[in-house]
Amino acid sequence: MKGLARTVAIRLVGGAVMVWIVATFTFFLVHALPGKPGDVAYEKYVAMGMNSQEAKAKASIIYGYTSQDPLFTQYTHYISDLLHGHLGISISYSGVPVADVIGDALPWTVIPILSGLLISFCIGVSSGVVAAVKRSSRLGSGLSLAASMIAGIPSFVIAILLITVFYTNMGALPYGGTVSETLLVDPGWNVEYVSSVAYHAILPVATYVLISYGGWMLSMRSSVVSVLGDDFILASELRGITPSTRMRYIGRNAILPLFTTLALSFGTLFGGAILIEATFNYPGVGQLLLNSIGKRDYPLMTGAFLLITTAVVLANIVADLLYSVIDPRVRR
Amino acid sequence: MTTATLTKPPRPADAPSARRSRWTGIRRVLTRKPGRIIGLSILVFFVLMGTFGPMVYGDQLAIDPDAIYQSPSAEHWLGTDFAGSDVLQATVVGSRYVLLTCSLAALFASTIGTTVGLLAGFHRGLSDSALMRVTDFVLTVPGLPLLVVLTTMWKFDSPLEMGFVLGVVGWGGIARAVRSQALSLRERGFLEAARGLGLPSRHIIVRELLPNIAPYVAMHLLLSVIGFVEAQVGLFFLGIVPFTSTNWGVMINQAVFSGGALQSPEAIFYLLAPLTCILLLIMGVVLFLDAIDELFNPRLRER
Repeated sequence: MKGLARTVAIRLVGGAVMVWIVATFTFFLVHALPGKPGDVAYEKYVAMGMNSQEAKAKASIIYGYTSQDPLFTQYTHYISDLLHGHLGISISYSGVPVADVIGDALPWTVIPILSGLLISFCIGVSSGVVAAVKRSSRLGSGLSLAASMIAGIPSFVIAILLITVFYTNMGALPYGGTVSETLLVDPGWNVEYVSSVAYHAILPVATYVLISYGGWMLSMRSSVVSVLGDDFILASELRGITPSTRMRYIGRNAILPLFTTLALSFGTLFGGAILIEATFNYPGVGQLLLNSIGKRDYPLMTGAFLLITTAVVLANIVADLLYSVIDPRVRR
Repeated sequence: MTTATLTKPPRPADAPSARRSRWTGIRRVLTRKPGRIIGLSILVFFVLMGTFGPMVYGDQLAIDPDAIYQSPSAEHWLGTDFAGSDVLQATVVGSRYVLLTCSLAALFASTIGTTVGLLAGFHRGLSDSALMRVTDFVLTVPGLPLLVVLTTMWKFDSPLEMGFVLGVVGWGGIARAVRSQALSLRERGFLEAARGLGLPSRHIIVRELLPNIAPYVAMHLLLSVIGFVEAQVGLFFLGIVPFTSTNWGVMINQAVFSGGALQSPEAIFYLLAPLTCILLLIMGVVLFLDAIDELFNPRLRER
């Protein structure tokens, strides 16, 4: 267990360094761009009739720094703010802290991704077993080919096709936004609101299911194929253990490495959510990042980008650790 | 020179007869399943379309205000778009940007990835761990959000720029694959012999390692093309890259966000034409990958 604690510590430090590098990169990126938030606020206050001293003081209270400060001071301010969980003040949501804006958007990204992941995991794993056992037959190769095909299709193409079929042509499912418009004024934890949210989430979740399905199916297939060749399967066959019990042995051994990938795919989907949220006009973190670019809201942009990066990095670390915890064959 | 008199390791590709048998091997693998020939034909078709399409059709789309959103007809096979331009023409002309960007991105990614992977796998030790940390970094930082953020300072004007940036962001997978191949190859007899003879590293890497690694690079290249299609078309679709040319991403963006193709079927051909092309292209790559996979992993040839 001591070794595990050490591994955790090393991985966490590595992840922190990575996030720090990305934060530094975004800081200097924003600094190189015209229209820095502190300056914009400063000019606004001057235009409102403050003198330059007052305006500068007020801008630096809200934004932590102004571009009149030396670069290094701005940078250390920025990093120490980050360490305190202060991501700056959004420009487009005039005056609201970036952390609050992101906090509001986070559930709209995390919950659809999680539900999509779970559904695609179940479908992918079970069809992966079928494809592995029947791999020489037409059914098996058809399943694999379809999976590699689906895995290759860009996420937004899947999203658009789903919308075209189920919304435009059939009119069976809603698209755009999170709830029906009548409920927008009065959100709350009632049956009507929650069911409307679920109804509007069907297509986005289906998209997440489809884009991750192929990966599950293909990796379960190859995992089962490799377990099929193991000695203990031969032994159980010779002992006359029933095929259904043998299937359980195979499934249990083959599914282990896939659990670790679960964390990894969460990171991948989180990073790719921007395309899906844009297509569905869904107010998640990806959409936030996209809007912040359009509105030149740099504090929001860096905040959303950092959050996405951190989520991916964390998912990587979790996947790595799970790998050694969950599968005894990997543990040394 | 000692290198000239050195007998090469017994690589089957060197003997003429062996080379011929390799060609028949490739042909046999290709023809084993009809899907593989279809995949190859699709890829060839798109290459021809991107190369000669704009020459035949003319790059300039005709703008005709009297013919906005027309249904397919003998004159316009796939109808017209919001400006009265021919959808088929836009699709054909637009393929060039997409394919050119993909090829350039693949070129940059494979150059960087192969170099990094070979250096790391061959030299091992300190340079290996350093290069692999960088590779891990490139692999971890989420690509699409990074590209989105980069659009604030980069306009991605030409296919060259777009391809370069995609390549710089996307070489991680190739580097990893090349490194693991190099690690396993360097323990083989012919490489040990070459090292024992005191051949310079550069010779060993370029003449001995590279030819053996090339197939794996080719495979990962095709795989990464799928990602490059999604990334570049996606950036145009999101509307954060300026529309300096006709291409499929621009068409999808216009159809969805200005044409209202998801609400009303008016712009549906303008939407479906580039989508079909993307689907076909991906299908071609996947079908063809199947053949390459079997060529280089003989163990897959079960039956």
